[in-house]
Order: sequence, then structure tokens, then C-alpha cells
Amino acid sequence: MVAGIRYEKLLQECLKEELRIVNSGMPQSRKKLSELLCEARPYVPCHDGSKHFFKKQEIAYLAELLDVSEREALLLPVIIMLEVGKGTMLIPCGEGVVEEKIISHILSMPVACDGGIIRLYRPQLAVIRKILKTTTQYAFSYSSGVVGI
Amino acid sequence: MSQQILKVRPTKIELVNLKRRLSLSVRVQKIVKDRLSILTMEFLQAAREAVEAREKLIKDFDAAYKALSVASGYHGYIALEKEMVVAGTGLKVDTGLRNIAGVRVPSFEMAERKREVQAYSMVDTSSLVDEAGRLFEECLKSVAGLAEAQRRLELLGTEINRSKRTANALEHIIIPGLRVTISYLKMKFEERDREEKGRLKRVKMLVARE
Repeated sequence: MVAGIRYEKLLQECLKEELRIVNSGMPQSRKKLSELLCEARPYVPCHDGSKHFFKKQEIAYLAELLDVSEREALLLPVIIMLEVGKGTMLIPCGEGVVEEKIISHILSMPVACDGGIIRLYRPQLAVIRKILKTTTQYAFSYSSGVVGI
Repeated sequence: MSQQILKVRPTKIELVNLKRRLSLSVRVQKIVKDRLSILTMEFLQAAREAVEAREKLIKDFDAAYKALSVASGYHGYIALEKEMVVAGTGLKVDTGLRNIAGVRVPSFEMAERKREVQAYSMVDTSSLVDEAGRLFEECLKSVAGLAEAQRRLELLGTEINRSKRTANALEHIIIPGLRVTISYLKMKFEERDREEKGRLKRVKMLVARE
């Protein structure tokens, strides 16, 4: 009986750890593209205390696509929200003009920003992740809010 | 597959705890499955990139050695080696970590180097040497790219295996076990209720007879 209880406790810990891991790499705060362009080693701190480094090539690529005022508006990393159980992928963005412009350019097709959210399909996600490896970040959300944080 | 009933005390509190555990397990299962699909997508992407990086590396080295061969043929091995001894410059690789759905993978990037004045003699060498040098620098970039892709592939593969084991354990052992135990406890409580009712009826009959 005691061994069983111990096993159960261990199991609960493992499950909680799984929840913690999935969003451990979420950034504490996001930085403007214009700020990152000035940094020698651009990065953002994460919730687990680690640092998420950006590739300069990607930042330069984004800077090429946008003008000076848009660089001020774009916050990096761009969060790709995955709704657990539903399988939908969303990019939450305020006004969404800058994000919309970037995503449309990468996918070579118009993308609608509906109510501050850009909806993506899985093949589109693969294309975006291929180009923006370090400047996008996954977040797993469970109906209400982000899990594990 | 018949599921083993967990050894628990048949109490209402235990039932509540089990229900809580079940809801947590179902929630974790959904998350693990979604994460697994994302990791698989990233893994396939990494595999493609690793193949491309390997092909690029082979091409770059091929071109670089050809250029070196031409340069050494023009200047001679000994003269070229003499020039190369003084030409060594420090290379910088920017390293860092990034997170892919909970997996921390390294990222390598060759720091951009401004083209400095060559350390070797401009009089005794030709543009062939410059070209060979430039091609070998490209090779180093390819090496960094391949190292990153290869390591990413390994780390993602390990994490996929781990997540798959977790998902399977949840799907085939933990959740069915909890469900069976909950239904067992419910049946036990119903049985207790029925016994209690029977006992009350019997007491009622005895009281009425007296």
C-alpha cells in the first residue's frame, strides 16, 4: 500500500513536470525588433531562467521586410499559440498589421487578422517555422490561459 | 487488455482524489499528444535541413579543395604553406540556446568578420589564394550549420521517444487504470448502499414485529 502511494505521488510529479516543461521556454518579456537590431547578441530571458537567442540573419531578414515605424511595432519572439485538444494554431497580435505583413510575405498569400488573431493551418506553420526558427515561439494554451506558467 | 485496479481505500475522499487524478491525466495526455505532433513536425524539418546541410558541406569542401589545388599548383606547395603559416586568423562562433516546445537546442552562427588586409604577402600570392581562403570560410559556415542541424535532430529525437513513452503510458495504463478503479469504487459504494437499505428494512421489520 505504501509503495502504491509512493508510486502515485511520483506519477503526479511526473505529470506536473510535463505541464511545466511545455511552456518553460516562454519569454518573460518580448523585445521590439528595433531594440534587437542594436544588440550584439540578441536574446530574451525565459520563464525558466534560460535565455532564448535570436539568429542575426533572421532579425536582418525581418528588418528588410519592414520599415522603421513597423520595426518599432513588431515584438519578438512571435508567439504561436496551440490550443490543446483543438489542434488550431493562432498568432495573437494587437493590431496585427506588422505580423500580418510578415506572415503574408512568408506564405506568399494574403492572411486575415481576425479580432487580433491570425489563424494558421499546419502546413503553413511548417513553412513559417522553416524561415523564422528563432523569432517564433510555441505556447500551449488550455482553454483558459497558457498552461504550466 | 484487462486493467489492474489500483490498491486504494474504498472511501469517498479517495474517489474524489481519483477523479481529480483522472482529469489531470486526461489534460496532460492532450498536451503531450499535441506536443508530440509539434515535435514530430520539427524533427522532420530538422532531418530535411540536416540532409541539405550535409550536401552543402560536401559541395563547399569540394569547391574549396579544388581552389586550393589550383592555388598550390600555381604557387607550389612549399611557397603556399609558407604564406599560410602567417595567415591564420581567429574565427568566432556565436553560440546560444533556443527552445522548441520545451526542448532546448543549441544554435551556432559564425560571427560576421570584416575582410581584413590579408596577412600574407600580396606580392608573392595571387587571387587564387584569396579565392581558396574565401571558399574555406564558407566551409566553416557549413560546418556550423551542419553541427546545429545534427544536434537539433538528436535532441528532438530523444524528446520524441520520451514523449511517446509518456503518451503511451497515459493512454494504455494510467488513464484506463484510474477509470477502472473509479468504476470499482462506485460499484462498491452502491453495494454498500444496497446492504444498508436491506439492513434498515430488516430492523424495521423486527421493530414492527415487537
